Amino acid sequence: MKRLLRAAAVLAALSLFLGLSLGLGSCSKKGDEPKKLYIFNWTYYTPDSVIAKFEKEYNCKVVYDSFDSNETMFAKLKAGGSNYDIVFPSADYVSIMINQKMLAPIDRTKLANFRNIDPLVLARSKDYDPDNKFSVPYYMGAAGVAVNKTKVKKYERSWSIFSRKDLKEKMTMLDDMREVMGDALAFQGKSVNSVSDADVKAAEELVNKTWKPNLLKFDAEAFAKGFAAGEFWVAQGYAESIFAEYDAAKRADVDFFIPKEGGPLYIDSMVILKNSKSQDLALKFIDFIHRPEIYAEFCDAFGFPATANVPARALKKGDMWYKAEDLAKCELKLDLGADLEKYNAAWQEIKVGK
Amino acid sequence: MTRNYGKIYAGPQALWLTVFFAAPLAIIVAYSFMKRDLYGGVLPQASLEAYRSLANPTLLSVAWRTLWVSFIATVFTILIALPCGYSIARSGNQAMRLFLVIVPFWTNFLIRIYAWIAILGNEGFLNDLLKILGLRTNSVQFLYNQGAVILVLVYMYLPYAILPLFSTIDKFDFTLLEAARDLGATRMQALMKVLIPNIRGGLVTAVLFTFIPIFGAYAVPLLVGGKDAYMLGNVIADQVTKTRNWPLASSISMGVTVLTGLAAVIFAATSRRTAQHVVEDSGIGPLSATAGIPSGGQA
Amino acid sequence: MKKLRLHGAYRAVRATLKGIRPLPPRISGSGPPATGRKGHAKRRRGIAVSDFVYWAVIAFLFAPLVVLFAYSFNSSKSGSWTGFSFMWYERLFLGSGLLWNAFGNSAIIALGSASAATLLGSLAAVGTSRYSFWYRPYVKSMSFIPMILPEIIVGVSLLVFFAGVGLKLGLLTVWIAHTTFNIPFVYLLVSARLEEFDPSIIEAARDLGATEVQTLLRIILPITMPGIASGFLTAVTLSLEDFVITFFVAGPGSTTLPLFIYSAIRFGVSPVINALSAVMVAGTVLLIYPARNFLKAYAAH
Repeated sequence: MKRLLRAAAVLAALSLFLGLSLGLGSCSKKGDEPKKLYIFNWTYYTPDSVIAKFEKEYNCKVVYDSFDSNETMFAKLKAGGSNYDIVFPSADYVSIMINQKMLAPIDRTKLANFRNIDPLVLARSKDYDPDNKFSVPYYMGAAGVAVNKTKVKKYERSWSIFSRKDLKEKMTMLDDMREVMGDALAFQGKSVNSVSDADVKAAEELVNKTWKPNLLKFDAEAFAKGFAAGEFWVAQGYAESIFAEYDAAKRADVDFFIPKEGGPLYIDSMVILKNSKSQDLALKFIDFIHRPEIYAEFCDAFGFPATANVPARALKKGDMWYKAEDLAKCELKLDLGADLEKYNAAWQEIKVGK
Repeated sequence: MTRNYGKIYAGPQALWLTVFFAAPLAIIVAYSFMKRDLYGGVLPQASLEAYRSLANPTLLSVAWRTLWVSFIATVFTILIALPCGYSIARSGNQAMRLFLVIVPFWTNFLIRIYAWIAILGNEGFLNDLLKILGLRTNSVQFLYNQGAVILVLVYMYLPYAILPLFSTIDKFDFTLLEAARDLGATRMQALMKVLIPNIRGGLVTAVLFTFIPIFGAYAVPLLVGGKDAYMLGNVIADQVTKTRNWPLASSISMGVTVLTGLAAVIFAATSRRTAQHVVEDSGIGPLSATAGIPSGGQA
Repeated sequence: MKKLRLHGAYRAVRATLKGIRPLPPRISGSGPPATGRKGHAKRRRGIAVSDFVYWAVIAFLFAPLVVLFAYSFNSSKSGSWTGFSFMWYERLFLGSGLLWNAFGNSAIIALGSASAATLLGSLAAVGTSRYSFWYRPYVKSMSFIPMILPEIIVGVSLLVFFAGVGLKLGLLTVWIAHTTFNIPFVYLLVSARLEEFDPSIIEAARDLGATEVQTLLRIILPITMPGIASGFLTAVTLSLEDFVITFFVAGPGSTTLPLFIYSAIRFGVSPVINALSAVMVAGTVLLIYPARNFLKAYAAH
C-alpha cells in the first residue's frame, strides 16, 4: 500500500516538475548563444554533412525542421507558425507565398554563386517568380518510372507501360493528384497545367479505366520499399526514394526513366521569410548551397543529377538515375488557382470510384 | 455525502479542456461555416458550401466503407482482447503482463506497419514460410487488400482494448461466477450473463478506444490497403494536405463529431442510471457505462 | 461480511440468470469460494484457455518486432538479408546526435504529458463518478470529443490558438497538446474502473472517520490503481506515437522521435531506427525485469 502511495506521489511530483521545467525552459535562456539559422525544409532534403560544414564555417547553429508537403508547410506558416528564416517551397507555392506577401526580396548582389545556376532552370522559374526577386532555385526534378529489369524484360520507356495488362497488380503510381493527372495529360499530348474540362475528363478516363485496373495501389509513401523488396515491378515515383531503398550492389537491375512523353516537372526553391531575423545569414546559406562542391555533395547524397548548378556537374562522383537533359520534355507544375477544383473532382473519382 | 467535492476534482480537467480544446475547436467550427480560401485557410465570409458538399455520393460511399471496416475490426479486436484482459486480471503478475502488451507499442507505429509489410509481402516471411513448408509454390497476395487493412488495424488497437477490459475485469468479483455455476449455469452462460454485464463499463470504453480511432484511421489504409482502401480519415487529410479545402475538412469532421457526440450525450445521461436498474434489466441495455451489479451494495 | 457479500451475489446473479434452471444451492462443501487464484479444477481449465489467447496475442504483438530486430542486424539497407552486422548499432550510438535529441524530447514529452493527463483525468473521473454537479455533463462530453476529432483538425486548431495567444511554439506547446489528447483516454479508463466500484466502502471509511483526503489516498487510489496504471501507459504510448498533432504545434528544435522518423522515411526506413526500436524495447524489458518483484507486490495488493 505504501509503495502504491509512493508511486502516486512520485507521479504527481514528476508531472509538476516537468510542467514547471517546460514552462521555465521556454521562457529562459536567451542571448549569448551562437547565431541561429532556422530552416524549414522537406524531409531530408539537405544532407547533414552540408549543414555541419556551414555551421563550422559561419560559426552558427542551424535548426532544421522538416515538412512533408507544401500544404502542411503553408498551413503552419500561415497560422503564424514560427519564425523560420529559410523555407524550401515548390514552384506553385513560391508564387502563392509571393502573392500573400510572406517573402523578403533577395539581394542578389550578395549571392556570388548565383551565376552557377543553370540558365535553363532560371528560364523556367520565370513562370512563378519573374527575375528571381524572391526565390533561388534549389533543385529541379521530376518523378519517373522505375522498372525491375529482372522481372520485366521488354518494355517501352513510355507512360503506356501502365496500360499493360500482363503487369496487372505489379505496378504502382504515386498517391499524388497533380503527378498522376499530369502524366495522363502529358501522355495524351496535353499540358500538365491544362484547365480545359475536356482534357481533364479525358485524363481521368485514361487513369480510371485503363491504368487503375492494372495498378496494385496508389502509394507515395512506401512504394520504394515495396519496389526494393520485389513486390512491385514497375513503380512511378521519385528516384531518390528508390535510390535510398535499393541495394547498391543490385542497382544495375533497375531502370529509372523519365517517359518520353514528358510529365510534370518540379522546382524547389529557397526563399527567405519576411519576418526573418537573420536575413544576412540566410543569404550566406543560399550562396553556400550553390558552391559547386557543396551542390555536388548534396546531389551525391541522394543520387540526383546536378540539375540547378552547372559547375557542380563536373564535380559529382556518385551515380545518378537520370540526367538533367531527360527533363527537357517535362513541364513545370504551376498553381492553377480555382481551377484546381476540376482536378480535385477527377481525383476523387479515381480514388473512390469503381 | 458530506460535501460535494466533485467540482473540485473535475475542475482542473474541465478548465484545461476548455482552454486547450474547446476554445481552439470553436475556431474550427467557425471554419466550417466559412468560404474556403484557395490557398488554404478560409475567407471571412459566411457560407454553407462545405455542408452542401457533404451529400456527395462518393463521400457517402467512403463513409459506408469506413463504417464497415471499423465495425469488423472492432469486433475482432474486442473478441481477442476479452480473454486477454481476463488472463491478465487473473494472473499473478498483472503488471508484467500489462507491460508485455504495451511495450511493442513504444516502437513507432510506422515502423511497425513497415514490419507488417515485410511479413505479409509476396516475398515476405509468411510467404517464405509457406513455401518452405511446401504448402504453396507461388506467393499468396496477403497485402494491399481489405483483409490486410483489418488485420493491421486489429493489431494496432488491441492494446487499447485490452487495457480497459483488464482494469474492469480485475475489479470483478469472481465469487459471482462461482455463484452462477452453483446455480446451474454452464461456464459460457456464466461468463455471458454474469461477467459481461458486470464489466460493461470496460467493454464500452474498449469499444470506444478501438472504434473511434479506427474510424479515423489514415496511415494503415494508406500503407497496407490496395487501390480501393480509401477511408474517411484519408478524405479529411486529403482535403487539408492536398486540396486545401479547410471548410470541407472541418465540416466532415463536424459531421463525425456530432454523430459520435450524440452517443456521448446518451452515454453521459444513461450512466446516471443506478445499479438497481441494471439488475432489473440486465443483459441488454443502451450504450451506457452503468454501475453493473455491485456485489455488496444491495444492502 | 463475507456472508453478506455472498448473499448479495446470489441475489444479483439469480436476477441475471433468468431462464436457467437453478440447482439447489451448495454453499457449504464446495470449497472456499474463489478466495485465491487457485479455484477448483474447472476454473483452472478456463484460465488456461484465456492464457493461451494471451500468449498468442503477445506473439502476435511481438511478431513485427522480431522482424525489426532481425533487420537491425542486416548489413544492407533493404529487405534482403546480406549478412550479419552491428553497423546500425554503431551508427545509432556514435553518429546519431539528432536522433537522440529527438528521443530525449519524446521521452520528456511522453512522461510529462502522461503524468499531467493522469493527474487531471483521474481526479476528474473520481469527481464525476461519485458526485453530481452542474457541469458534470460538460466534463463527460468534453472528455470524449478530443478522441473523435481527426488529429489534423486538433493539431491545426491548437496551432491557430497558440498563434492567437502569442505562445511561442516549442516543447511547452507540444506538452500542452499531448496532455490535451491524453486526458480523455485516462479519464475513460479510470471512469470505467470506478463504475465497477462499490461505493459502500467509501461510506464505511467515512463512517469510521476518514477525511476526504484520506479516503481519496487510502481507499480510492489503491482501488483505481489498475485503471490509473492503464491510463498512464496508454498516455505514454499515444504520446510516443503522435505525429500529426505534434507536427503542427512543434517549434524549431522541439522535434520528437515520430517527427524525426517521418522526416527519415521519405528516404526509406533507416535500419538505425530498427536498431533504436530494438534498444528501446530491450531497455524497457530489462528495466522492468529487475522490478518484477515490486510489480508482483503491486499486482497482488
